Formats: sequence, C-alpha cells, structure tokens
Amino acid sequence: QAEVEETLKRIQTHKGVIGTIVVNAEGIPIRTTLDNSTTVQYAGLLHQLTMKARSTVRDIDPQNDLTFLRIRSKKHEIMVAPDKEYMLIVIQNPSE
Amino acid sequence: LFNTLAAVRVKLNTMLLYSRSSRAMNISTSGILRLNRSATYARSINASVSRKSFCLAADSKILEKSSVQTPKHTIQVLDENGKDVTPRPVYQPDPAAVQSKHSKIFASDTSGGTMSDFYSTTYQTTTNASFAGAFTRSLFGSGSVSIGSQSIMESMSEEIEDPSSKRDNSISLSDVQVKREEVKELIQEEMLDDMVDLYLVESDTLCLLDMPAISVSVDSMEAESVKERNSRYTELCKNRTGNDKYMGRSMQTFNGASKTKEVQSEAITMADAATIANNWDMYDSFCSAGQGEVDLSTDTDKASIAEMIHQNHGPTRTMERTMSVISSSTIVSSSSSRMEMEPFVVPSESKPDPELILQSEEFQQHLFVMERIILENIYQPKLAAYRQLPTLEGMVLLEESSLDEEGPPTPALERLWSFSCELTTGRNVSSMAWNKRNPDLLAVGYGQFAFKDQKPGLVCCWSLKNPSWPERIFTCQSGVTALDFSASSASMLAVGMHDGTIATYNVQSREKTPVIDSSDCVHKHTSPVWQVRWINHERALSGEDKGEALISVSADGRISKWFLRKDLMKLKRTRNDRFKRQVGEKERKSEALISRQAPGLCFDFHPTDSNIYLAGTEEGHIHKCSCSYNEQFLETYQAHKGPLYRITWSPFCSDVFLSCSSDWTIQLWRQDLFTPVLGFMSTQRAVYDVMWSPKWATVFGAVNEGRMEIWDLGASILDPTIVNPASPGVKLTSLLFATETDCVLVGDSDGQVSVYQLKNFTAGEGTQVGTLEDIIGSTLASQL
Repeated sequence: QAEVEETLKRIQTHKGVIGTIVVNAEGIPIRTTLDNSTTVQYAGLLHQLTMKARSTVRDIDPQNDLTFLRIRSKKHEIMVAPDKEYMLIVIQNPSE
Repeated sequence: LFNTLAAVRVKLNTMLLYSRSSRAMNISTSGILRLNRSATYARSINASVSRKSFCLAADSKILEKSSVQTPKHTIQVLDENGKDVTPRPVYQPDPAAVQSKHSKIFASDTSGGTMSDFYSTTYQTTTNASFAGAFTRSLFGSGSVSIGSQSIMESMSEEIEDPSSKRDNSISLSDVQVKREEVKELIQEEMLDDMVDLYLVESDTLCLLDMPAISVSVDSMEAESVKERNSRYTELCKNRTGNDKYMGRSMQTFNGASKTKEVQSEAITMADAATIANNWDMYDSFCSAGQGEVDLSTDTDKASIAEMIHQNHGPTRTMERTMSVISSSTIVSSSSSRMEMEPFVVPSESKPDPELILQSEEFQQHLFVMERIILENIYQPKLAAYRQLPTLEGMVLLEESSLDEEGPPTPALERLWSFSCELTTGRNVSSMAWNKRNPDLLAVGYGQFAFKDQKPGLVCCWSLKNPSWPERIFTCQSGVTALDFSASSASMLAVGMHDGTIATYNVQSREKTPVIDSSDCVHKHTSPVWQVRWINHERALSGEDKGEALISVSADGRISKWFLRKDLMKLKRTRNDRFKRQVGEKERKSEALISRQAPGLCFDFHPTDSNIYLAGTEEGHIHKCSCSYNEQFLETYQAHKGPLYRITWSPFCSDVFLSCSSDWTIQLWRQDLFTPVLGFMSTQRAVYDVMWSPKWATVFGAVNEGRMEIWDLGASILDPTIVNPASPGVKLTSLLFATETDCVLVGDSDGQVSVYQLKNFTAGEGTQVGTLEDIIGSTLASQL
C-alpha cells in the first residue's frame, strides 16, 4: 500500500540513514537502496547472526523469541527486524 | 542295504576323489557287495583313501551302467597302488538331467551332482526304474519314501556329525544349478505373456544346521536306554584294549585343497549426518507434536537447516534442495520429522510474493518500530533531556559552570525539537492537548482563527517517539479550533471546529472518520466552537448526568453540555446556558425573547467543584456560573477591555484564576474579589494563551503574538522571568506545559509545535502555594 511505501521513503530520508534493505526468506532483496553486492553481503551475514541470536534467546527460554537486533559499531548502527518471511535492515550513522 | 546311504554319504565327503575307469565297469556285479562292505566302515568320518575310491568306483559303475553315454576320461591320476585318484572338478554340468530317471540318480559324473539329483528325482516322480528302483529303495530306506527333499535332507543331516563347509557349498551350488535348469524347461514362448500370479508363502523351515544334543536329560524317557548304551560302550572300550578282535590302525584324512573365491560387492556409501538439538528445538517439537498440526515456526528455527539453506543465495536454489537437506539431517523425534517434511512442501508451491511481504501487517509493524528506533538515534539527547535523564553533555556543562562560579545561572529556554511535517506547514496551531493516560501523546489542532482564509482543518496526534511524522492524521471539513482528550475513555478526542461542529475521534483505531459528529444535531452550534472540555460530574443531578460530559462554548453565546449516547450514537444536548450581553454597566435581568448573546470564547471548570465554572466572553466579561442554575450568572468579573482568550483556574490555589485577553494584559483574580489582584503586561500585543505551570503555583506561561513568556511571581511580578521571542514572521498562538517534565510546548502559526526545556529554572521547593498566597496578600494589603 501507499502507506508502506511512504514509510519506507521516510525512513530512507531520515538523518544519518545510510541504507535500507528488505530481503525475503531466501536472501533475495526486495527493496534496497544499496548496490547489489553490498545488499547480498549484508543480507547473508545478518541472517546468520540473526539465527544465532534467535537461537540464543530461545535456548534460555523457549517461549521467548527474538524481535529486534541492533548492532552498534564504531562507524554506524545496524538495525535488523527479523521475521519468518523477510528481514528488514537499516544502517544508520547516528552521530552525523 | 540301509548302509548304502552311508556309502553315499562317504562318497560325498570326498568329492575330489573320483575314478572313472573301465575298472569300475568290471566290478559292477560286485558293486553292491563292495558297497556294503565299505559301508560298514563308513561310520567313522575318516575313511581311507582306498575305501573312498572303492565307493566311488561303485558309484561310477552304477552310473556307467545306467547311462548310455560314456563319460569323458581325459586325465587320470593314479596313486602308488594304482588307484585312480584323479581330482575331480567341483561340479560338472548335468548332461543326463533330462534323460531317464535311472540316470538321474547318479546322472552327473561328480558326486556333488548326486545330491542335487536326489532332489531332482524327488521332484520329478517316484522311482520306477527297476534297477534304480532297488537302489533307490535302499537309498531311501533309511527314511520314509517321501518326495519332499527336506526329509531326505534331514535324514541325511542326522547322520552327518561334522558338516564341512565345503560340502555345503557344493551341495548348494549344485542344487541351485539344477533347479535353474528345471525352471528353464518349463518356460515356453506363449507363457511369457501370461500374467503369472506369484504367491508368496512362507516356506517350511529349512534346517541348515542341526546339531543334536549329545546329552540327554536325566528325566527324559530315553535316559534309561542312553545310560545303558553308555555303560555298554564303556565296557566295550575297556574290552578293546587287550582284545584280539580290535586292531588299532592309523588313518590319515585327506586334506582338501582350499580354493579362494573372491567376491566383489558395491561399495557401501556412508553419509555423515549431524544436527543440533537445541533447547527450543525440543520445545518446538514437543509443542507441535502436542498440537498435532503442522507448525511452521518450528522449522525455520532449526539452526543447522537454516544455515544450510542460507549458504546458497540466489535464484538457483530451489526448495527441493531444502527438502533433501532436511531429509539428510537427523531428526529428534519421528513425529516431528513427519511434520517438518510437510511445511516445506507448502512454501515450494506458493512462494511468498515480495509484494505480499510488503503488504503484510508484520512488515508495517516492523517499519513502524524501525522508524522510531532511527529517530531515537537521531533525537536521543533531546529526548533524554525531555525526560530529564542525565546526558553526557549536560554533565560536562555542569562541571564547567561550577568551575566558573559566575553566580546563579540565568534561567533560559532550550529548544529541543519541534513537531512538524510537510502536512502541517503553513497551518496555524490553534489548540493542543495531552492525552490523559499516555503523557507522550499529543493532539494538535490546526485551524485558522480569522474568519477569512479558512481551509480544511487538521488534527494530528503526535507521539514523542516520532517528532517527524504524526501517528494519526485526521482531516476535518473546517478549521479546528478546540481539542480535548477524554479522561474516562482515553482514546476519545473531542474536536471543535470553526463551523460549529463538534466531532469525536477514536485515536486508537486507524479510521479517519469521526466516531460521532454533531452536525446532525438540531441544536448544534452555529458559530465557531472555541473550547471543548470533558468534565466529570461527580455530583449528578439526575441519573443521566453521571459520567463524563462534553462541554463546549461557542461564539453563538451558548455553553452546551453534550452527552454521548452509546446506543444512539448521537450527541444529545441536554441543557444550555446563555450569555447576556451587557448594556452599559447595568445588568439586565429580564430575558427578552430576542436577546443579544455575547459570544463565549473560553471557560474553565473549578478544579474541585465541578459545578462552578467561569466563562469569558468577547466583551471582556468573566462570568461565574453554576451548572445547577441555568438562568443567571452567579458573579461577573469585569476588568478586561477586549475579548478574553483564556481563563484558567490555578491548580494549587482553588480560588485564584488567571485570565488573558487581547487587551495586552493578563489578570490574576481571586474568586471573591471583583477586581483583579494583579495585572501583568509586558508588551503591547494580544495575549493568546496563558497556562499555569503544573509544578509551581507561582509560575505561569503566556504567549502573545511575538513572544513566549514564563512568569515567576515569586521572582518578579512586573516582568517575566524568561522571554523567548518568536521567529520573525511567525506568530505564537498556543502554549502547553508538559505535565511531568520541565518542558513547554509552543505552537505557532506556521504549523510547528516547538518543545522547549526550562533550564536552570526553579521557583523553589514545593509547589509554592504559600508564596502565591503571600504575594496576593501583600498585594492586597498594599492596595488598601
């Protein structure tokens, strides 16, 4: 819907946002503002990390589940919203 | 004759020995005798070479006699005694298998075939050859004359004490081959096309090895006979030693030459499979097994599988590969394995469309959360300041200021951020209201004050977590002039508009239309509604009046009370109140039929007594009214010379109220005095809004056209303590204090709602009620 598109556009125009990626469950990018190789790299690596994080969370309490993952590094922050069918990744530079 | 069976057995023992010579022919007549003789010695397994040869010779003789053909004798090996010890081949095909039944008994040249021939004869027919018949009778004599091969086998095997593997091999080999030939002759051309029914039945148990026990239980019936036999034997052995009847002779068994046979089989492929069974893995399997239905979420959580899936990117990867991957990994429980196979079938048939993903609810939710997180990153220091959390910069500044020791820092306003987006630019902020339950939710109404250039109004609900885009946007048909959130049902927002309509919206739902609209009402307002408020009447006049009611004041001079009837879904007006226009100084008590009514601009209910309220009119009069008395005002306060824009009771001192008007002044009143206690004027601009601070009794904020002021009566009653000028070209129109923090929101005519934080500002400890009262008291005292 238009609302989704609008929200996506807004996210991309926020201050410090470097890129937005939406990939499906197989790692195929649906929407991305970065180039293809970077997108595929991010998607693959973050998927593995998300799996590991989810496994960790659920190992501690099987009724729990992972909802969000944020990785803050020196240069930027990667925010991952994982789901069964897709993964939403936003890379932002918060100190800009 | 019974012993001929043994003879045959011995012959079988020594397959390799064979002699076919003409000599065999010659001694045919005495063959039987020979057989008999040899049979007596045949009890022991170790037979001498000569004996064997005789036996064999006997056999071969019979063979020659029965069959017409002459066997081939190319090589003959003779031992030192002249006996034929030609090594025989393991097996020779049976040329005489189809021929007469006599030959069948010993049709082949090898002794190995004889065994099978035994079987073949038994399958075929009974013995009817004369010569063979005698023989067969003798042969079969040990056991019953039965056609079943097993009986012969069993009878044979009973006597066999030490089966050698060699013999077994030969038996089986020949057996197999003969049987194959049998089968071949049966199949004919036309039988190939027939449907052959194969019946699989359980065959009788074939006993391949039977080692009968050599010990007998004491309780059995044979025990006595066995004991007797044993004793006889021991006696015999004792007698043997010195007896002439017995002569010891040594024997030598012939060691058969071993033959290696190589067999090659296909390499057994081994595949390693591993899986990780996590805590949640087992939990998921347990849950899905308990439900008895396919649970899609169990599958994707498998770390091993998922990793294998996502090692291959790209469109070449298919679902079939995932299935093979799954099948190769070990599964925790068999039931879950079944269930896991199924859900992966489903996605392969209908892969989630990228568009479907984008439309899904979860995606929208994730986007929503993601946006908030991004904004939190951007606005984090500002939001932290709003929430009065210590920030790193603030702490650094504090240290610096303490070093400088300049003196008490001056109170100032720090602009944190502003709520605005492209929708709201150019619109005039007319009113703001906090949500009663969620102090982070702000409703802002946009509408023009003036009669001209009216455009459709807008109501935006902003959340503190997203200053760049409102959570809810409602467009109204005319400019919005008043807003209020209900306290009892926190999601109801009442909106008063420039055309007199009052609408209520439910901000929880995503609908853009109002829940209830007053435009259908008969007694609706005909002029702009300048203020709406939800009032909770504790003391109900009648059963109907309990609960929360919506009060509105409009420019047509009426204060109306609205009830929302849930079943009727219609605003129902119950009572009204009219303002009377003052003519001069006198009060007109009589009610004319056509009375000119003064437009009401604002009102405020008493904080503790919900029956009393103050109303301000365009003429500058403040009327104190009561809900229970509709006809007349209780009091009238006259001081202002222009329309009153705001009246507000002090939240701390229950009989003190403030009023501001376009005559550039703010007046502080006390309920019982008809002249204002204090008046404040700072600039020659109309004061649009005034509000008491929720934290200190002596502090209030006011906004006039050009600037925003914070007054602290404890500090000074002549000048505002903090002054914040507006940006050029922008008029400030409304003011709102934040309830829990030291922040002030200011709305302007450009559609921006700016959030300011009061820095270094404190009016003192506590609520300063006493200070206010002292000020009032001292002012009054000085006036007298």
